[in-house]
Amino acid sequence: MKPAVSPAEEAVIITHEDVDRAHDRVRVSDARAHRGYTSNARLLWLLIGPGILVMLGENDGPSMLAYAATGAKFGVGFFLPFVVLTFCMAIVVQEMTVRLGAATHRGHAELIFERFGPFWGWFSMIDLGIGNFLTLITEFIAIRAGLGFFGVPPWAAISLALVVLYAALMSHRYWTWERITLAAAVFNLIFIPVALMAHPSWHSVGHAFLTWQPLPGFNKDVLLIVLADIGATVTPWMLFFQQSATVDKGMTTKDIHFGRIDTVLGAALASAAAIATVVATAPLFAHQMTADNFQAAEFAQALQPIIGRFGASLFALGMVEAGIVAAITISTSSAYAFGEVAHKPHSLNLPMGEGKAFYAVLTLCAAAAAGIVLIPTLPLVYVVLIVNVVAVLAMPPALVFLFMLVNDKEIMGDLISPLWANLLAGAVVFILTAAGILFGVSIIAPNIFAALGGT
Amino acid sequence: MTKTEPSPIAVSDQSLVLASLEPDQLANAKKHPIPRRHLKTPELVIFWTLRLYLLFMMAVVSYQVWIAAH
Repeated sequence: MKPAVSPAEEAVIITHEDVDRAHDRVRVSDARAHRGYTSNARLLWLLIGPGILVMLGENDGPSMLAYAATGAKFGVGFFLPFVVLTFCMAIVVQEMTVRLGAATHRGHAELIFERFGPFWGWFSMIDLGIGNFLTLITEFIAIRAGLGFFGVPPWAAISLALVVLYAALMSHRYWTWERITLAAAVFNLIFIPVALMAHPSWHSVGHAFLTWQPLPGFNKDVLLIVLADIGATVTPWMLFFQQSATVDKGMTTKDIHFGRIDTVLGAALASAAAIATVVATAPLFAHQMTADNFQAAEFAQALQPIIGRFGASLFALGMVEAGIVAAITISTSSAYAFGEVAHKPHSLNLPMGEGKAFYAVLTLCAAAAAGIVLIPTLPLVYVVLIVNVVAVLAMPPALVFLFMLVNDKEIMGDLISPLWANLLAGAVVFILTAAGILFGVSIIAPNIFAALGGT
Repeated sequence: MTKTEPSPIAVSDQSLVLASLEPDQLANAKKHPIPRRHLKTPELVIFWTLRLYLLFMMAVVSYQVWIAAH
């Protein structure tokens, strides 16, 4: 469905944001005008971005810590294929945001407010705002802890992260911001060489993928890790970010195929880094070391006798990278959502003068979260696991909004989800809700698992 | 009719925008709201159920944090 008043029916107002986006689209059109592998590769290069960023962005401080805790607590086994399953769920969910953004050219918050009204829109925004702010805090905790491994004092670590975040914004061009952030995000793969340095048993890794064994048992701690690992791959901010970034990039319905490739590619890279992290910390499980109180830097210190100083340094740097990239993407998702709801200009193509509110929200969110992290004695591992759990619990309501929007023929036209996609999305909602309910039961009635044969 | 914002935009850029972007991709087009959808009773029931689920689970998480802190 088009807006009540078509833009064509009144004076066309052109902004600098439109001009920047048009320049990006001309390059896409030029690449599309040619045939052959080179042109297709160029088209892919031009259209990748939101999917890779959202997936590698979600491999953030708390997520990498959840994977590290998974490896240290349970070793190589059930959780390796489970992590891949969670990324498959993420693909199903995020693909819908690509279609929504390309078909409507509207952000996720904007669509929820306009289609369902402000009452439900504000609920959705409150979920997003609380979740994003808590997660941002944990990103800066990861950065502080990671750089702490090298002796960098907390204030310097946080300042450095804020400088990187603001530097990416200085171009006031979506394209430049996206490429800078992508370059930073690729460093997430640093966990792969760390895993190799841990000399994993490839037989055990292969056995785990083929059989999902050994199983971790059935108790409250296992459920917490299950939820933390799910929350490490599917969270509400990802929906808002990828749809808004798709719109800001200027993608249209012709680009949906490449948007899907972008999303799958991002999931493949992110799952490789996640699996590598589980494998890298698995020796801690083999050496019977507890991970209950490990912070990001402490994981690196604990691994040092096994993978050496260089490997431990890479691990700590990986935590820093994960925190910085996620701080950039999550604060951007908050700013997009604020602009969409407050009807303020919201684009990374905006010059500072035209996007004061957008840039103010983005920078203030990051600065406030960074400031909180400078408070000493914040518990880390428990906080980050709980943040991931909260993300999982907030997903079912967010997914139902997404599900209804992507099946709304009035705004999606022929791009509504086919039956198979709806069945997959329904399965994701069921899994997330069931995991949340099981977690709730484990808290309220902790003995029930023992009664059911668990531990 | 085409008019620009106070900060001038070159005529060539205006032509580029009109040729390259779909009409509803323009920043100004987003000022026009998309009509509200009428929510049916089953949809409202699902929304409220999930809202109550979330509130309940947040209480459970808060309880868990309180237990851990003590």
